[in-house]
Formats: sequence, structure tokens, C-alpha cells
Amino acid sequence: MRRVVFLALGLVLAAGSGARAQPVAPAITVYAASDLDMAFREIKPIFEKATGTRVTLVMGSTGNLAKQIEHGAPADVFFAANASFVDDLQGAVIPQTRALYAQGRIVLATPTKSTVVVRELADLLKPEVRRVAIANPAHAPYGRAAQEALESAGVWERLKPKLVYGENIRHTLQFVETGAVEAGIVALSVAGVPDVRYVPIDPKLHKPLNQVAAVVKRSARPELGVAFIQFLNGPEGRPIMKRYGFFLPGEF
Amino acid sequence: MDFFPLWLSLKVSVAATILTLATGLPIAWVLARKRFTGRDVAEALVVLPLVLPPTVLGYYLLVLIGRQGVIGRVLDATGIELAFTWRAAVLAAWVGSSALFIKAAQAGFEAVDRRLEQAARTLGRSGWSVFWSITLPLASRAVMAGTVLAFCRALGDFGITLMVAGSIPGLTQTTPLAIYDLVQSNHMAEANALSLIAVATVALLLMGLGRLARLRF
Repeated sequence: MRRVVFLALGLVLAAGSGARAQPVAPAITVYAASDLDMAFREIKPIFEKATGTRVTLVMGSTGNLAKQIEHGAPADVFFAANASFVDDLQGAVIPQTRALYAQGRIVLATPTKSTVVVRELADLLKPEVRRVAIANPAHAPYGRAAQEALESAGVWERLKPKLVYGENIRHTLQFVETGAVEAGIVALSVAGVPDVRYVPIDPKLHKPLNQVAAVVKRSARPELGVAFIQFLNGPEGRPIMKRYGFFLPGEF
Repeated sequence: MDFFPLWLSLKVSVAATILTLATGLPIAWVLARKRFTGRDVAEALVVLPLVLPPTVLGYYLLVLIGRQGVIGRVLDATGIELAFTWRAAVLAAWVGSSALFIKAAQAGFEAVDRRLEQAARTLGRSGWSVFWSITLPLASRAVMAGTVLAFCRALGDFGITLMVAGSIPGLTQTTPLAIYDLVQSNHMAEANALSLIAVATVALLLMGLGRLARLRF
């Protein structure tokens, strides 16, 4: 027993000393909403190469990330899936750095393997469609947009018993990908995966999904966060964002 | 493939298990041996972390140890950063796994024949010495079982760690968080590989520990 404890202690001490060897290159930590997952993983190496700044990506639900930033998480810049989350963080972000970087779109997604035909929101009422996945409208911006679209289409009340809620938009997509549901409403930015086909939903059916970023107040290098936002909104970032289905500032 | 999460998880779980042993042994012993007012409340408090959803528990912890938290401010003043560091992951794992250890160890202590302890006392042993030479060895199986449970729970913690340590790659992203991240970003092959390595590592570790335990006791 005692031997085990000493061995363990040794391991911990060794680990502690190893972790202290940190790289010296400038580095920023980017907190970003899950709908940006695929686009940001592609942008990260390009930004790193162009600026020599190391980027750490922390992806998660906008609500969770906002809470963590409020309580002092080591984020330098925050990309939210919705403007309201950035605006609620007033004390924790630098207001002058607040920038619109994209507008999201939602799509009606079905598993490729499924034989049920779903072309428009009203099709979700068909009895063959037993379950429909949306992100949780209580805290996920894309879930809220899905609810608004279903309400505008006049099917929300009747559809309610069929709904299952995903934690975030990637989680919601997984319900569709795995065929666990016959249909789902997800972000266009994540829908481009092999096992899913989708049709666009008219953006007039929901309030615009304006995605806003801001540099976090406690950031030691706020200029790097600003640089990342500008890079994303610049000639290198925009084509990538566009390819992942975001509508860009000045285009809507 | 990035092995940092595995290494971090091992470090965090070992540290958390040591913390659990150091805090859990006295608590388990007191709950097993002492009768005092508020004992029922204490026992309920011990298992409370098992009842609350981990992310909720994690949020409460974050409120406590974050920048504006009661504990966070004190730590801040002394220059110690806890939230969003690997130490926060240790705290998370400790909170999540203590109950499992305490309940197992408590049951072990309760099953020890008190006459043996009393006999040792009549032969002049101190209370401290009785604990280390009589009670603990006789309860060792239960204590070992509790330790293994706590260690595995610490390794697998997701929700509490996610909230108090964040999921920062290369800093606080433990194996469960890394696997979740890989699944979320559709890197299924890497996620499966990491899961497999994690499970295999722990299986080997536990087999080794089991051997070691049989040698000693």
C-alpha cells in the first residue's frame, strides 16, 4: 500500500515538473461555439502559419462557454453563436472589439439511409417521421431558431410530442447522422457530413442568427484576439466560412 | 495522435485518488465509529455529489472557485489560480469520486470486530496505532475496493471537469473530454483509438495494482 502511494506521488511530481515547460511563441485561446467546429479547425493552421501565433481552440455550447468566461476562463477571444450571449457578458469582454462575423442558416436534415421523404417543415408531421431532433431552444441559439421556424410554419404545437433536444448543434446532428431520428433541424455549417442530406429552411421564418465575437477583457494580448477576428472577417477567413455555409457580413 | 489527454488523465486521477484517500479515510472512520448529532446529515452530504447532475455540480463549484467566488477570491488574493487549471480537474475528480470511496471504506470499518481493537487498547496501544495496525489492515479489502472505484470514477469524470477546468486542449482537456471533442468533430477513428487505449491502460493498471495488493496483504 505504502509503496503504491509513493509511486503515485512520484508520478504526480514528475508530471507537475513536465507541464511547466511551456512554448514561448505568442499564443491565444479561442473559445468558439460548436457550429464553428469544422470551419475553425480549418482556419486555425492557416492563421498560425500567417501570424506565427499558436492557437488553442476550445469548442463548446455558447451558453457554457459564456458562463466559463464570466467566471474567469483563460479565453482571449470568444466567438458566440448568438449576439445576445456576448452582450450579456458586458463586464467580461471589451465592448469596442465586438464584431459581427457571420449569420447562421438552418437546414432540414435527414439520414441518407432513411426512406422517409422530408422536403419541407410540414412533412415532419407525417406519421412515418417518429422523432425530430432540434437543439435545446432553452439555451442553444440554433434550437431557438428551429423553434421560431416551426412556429412560423404553424407546426410547432403538433410537432412537440415528437421532438428530442440535443445539447448543442453538433449533438443534434449526431441524432440525425446515426439515424436515431427521421429528421432534424441543424446548422448548415455542420450539415455537410456523409450520412446526412439536407434542404435549406427559409431564413425569413426565424429571427436572424447573428453571430458575434469579442475579445475577452482579461486577455493578456488583446491585439492577437482582434487579429483573429480580423483574419476571419478578411480575405483568408471569409471563403472558408462561406464554404461551411455561413452568410458573411455585407452579404445579407 | 495526441497523447497529452491520457497523460493528464493519469496525473489528475492519481492526484485525486491520493486526495480522496487523505480526506476520505478519516471521514469514513468517523462515520463508522462515532455517534454524534448531525451524523445523518453528514452522511447525506457525503453522497450528495452522486445525486446532483455532474455539470450542475460543476457549475456550483465554478461559482465557488471562479473569479468572483468566495473561495476564488481568497485564492486570487494569495496568487493561486485554481479554476481552469489541471488542479481544478483534480478537485472535480475528487468531488465526483469521494463518495464512492467513503461509503466502501465506511462499510469496511463497520465490519471490523471492535473487540480486536479493544484488546489492542488493553495491551497498551494508542488509538492511532490501533487504527494503522488493526482497523485499517482488517478493512483493507473494502478500502482497496473503494480506492479502485474512486480511481476509475476520477478517470472517467466528464461533467464536473468540463465546467470547472474547461476543455482546453493541451492544458485541461482530460481523456473523456478529448474523446467527446473528437466525437463532436466527427473524428470517429481517433475517438475510438483513444477510448481503446484509455480502457486498455486502466485495465493493465488495475491488474497490476491487484497483484501488488495481494502481495502486500
